[in-house]
Amino acid sequence: MGLSFGSVLRRGVLAGMLAGLAAAVMIWLVVEPVIRRALVIEDLRSMHGGQAAPPGFAAHGGGEPLVSRTAQVVGGAVTSVVVGIAVGVIFAVVFARVRERLPGRGDFGRSMVLAAIGFAAVSLLPALKIPSNPPAVGDPSTVGRRTMLYAVVLLLGVAVAVVVPTMDRRLALRGVVASTRWALDVAAVVVLLALVLLLVPGSPDQVPADVPADLVWDFRLASLAQLATMWLALGLAFGLLMERIAARSRALRPVAS
Amino acid sequence: MERKGHFAMTTVASASAVPSDTAVSVPVWAWALLAFAVFALYFVSQENGALLSAPAAQMLHELTHDARHALGVPCH
Repeated sequence: MGLSFGSVLRRGVLAGMLAGLAAAVMIWLVVEPVIRRALVIEDLRSMHGGQAAPPGFAAHGGGEPLVSRTAQVVGGAVTSVVVGIAVGVIFAVVFARVRERLPGRGDFGRSMVLAAIGFAAVSLLPALKIPSNPPAVGDPSTVGRRTMLYAVVLLLGVAVAVVVPTMDRRLALRGVVASTRWALDVAAVVVLLALVLLLVPGSPDQVPADVPADLVWDFRLASLAQLATMWLALGLAFGLLMERIAARSRALRPVAS
Repeated sequence: MERKGHFAMTTVASASAVPSDTAVSVPVWAWALLAFAVFALYFVSQENGALLSAPAAQMLHELTHDARHALGVPCH
């Protein structure tokens, strides 16, 4: 009995929404306190007429703000849920397409494997090359270049996630045993990721002198915690929801042939 | 192509019980939906005036600001 795509997609949307909510809670708990520390630096700059910051770093907190801080915090949470749903939709389509090829015990295991690959390829890898920054860091004149580099690393991460399993299947077709294939897969992932990290240029920005290093570190850690929460919640929720279909179909057909 | 893949699955992964049971057929519209989801991600994380008017883009930037920072996408 095959599984309909619609039922997979619905679970992806629901799991994505839950993941977005979990990420919003993490933003509120761990990211917002660091953002507040960074905004103090931006406010100090605008009070000193921007003299503490190099040119181009003028805070966007100067003058009358377009949106209040409260609206930004609420907007951030809404954005997180929207992002969660969009990621959930993509996750469901990819899961349905590659389900029979994913390793792992049942749909829960497969879901967790896909979430781990997703986190590594589109969240962790770009974060290692172009790390996230709090407000008060980031030269507006280089944002185009940084965005381009970020997108390139993200796409290369996706490419590695596609190429290595494809290579694995080719080797399997030629009768290469599983243990040898796994060793080759790990070696290929390590070599390809090392090439991406070594060959793609990093961010051209320097962190301004008035931003403490521990603030930047705390922010990057908080950002990764939030991203990891989103992927973990997505993998858990989607996996559990998929397992419920399996449990129900077993209950409905206790004497299935 | 598809059949070849299936053949490979049954021969190589013969340990798993019923390989065909795990396959889900993905309709063509699903890929359009995936493209739309990618577009939505671009819109909330990166749209800064390429598609919207400048004031609208700035409003969107300010509203999504905290999440953009948290998600680690280059913001400003």
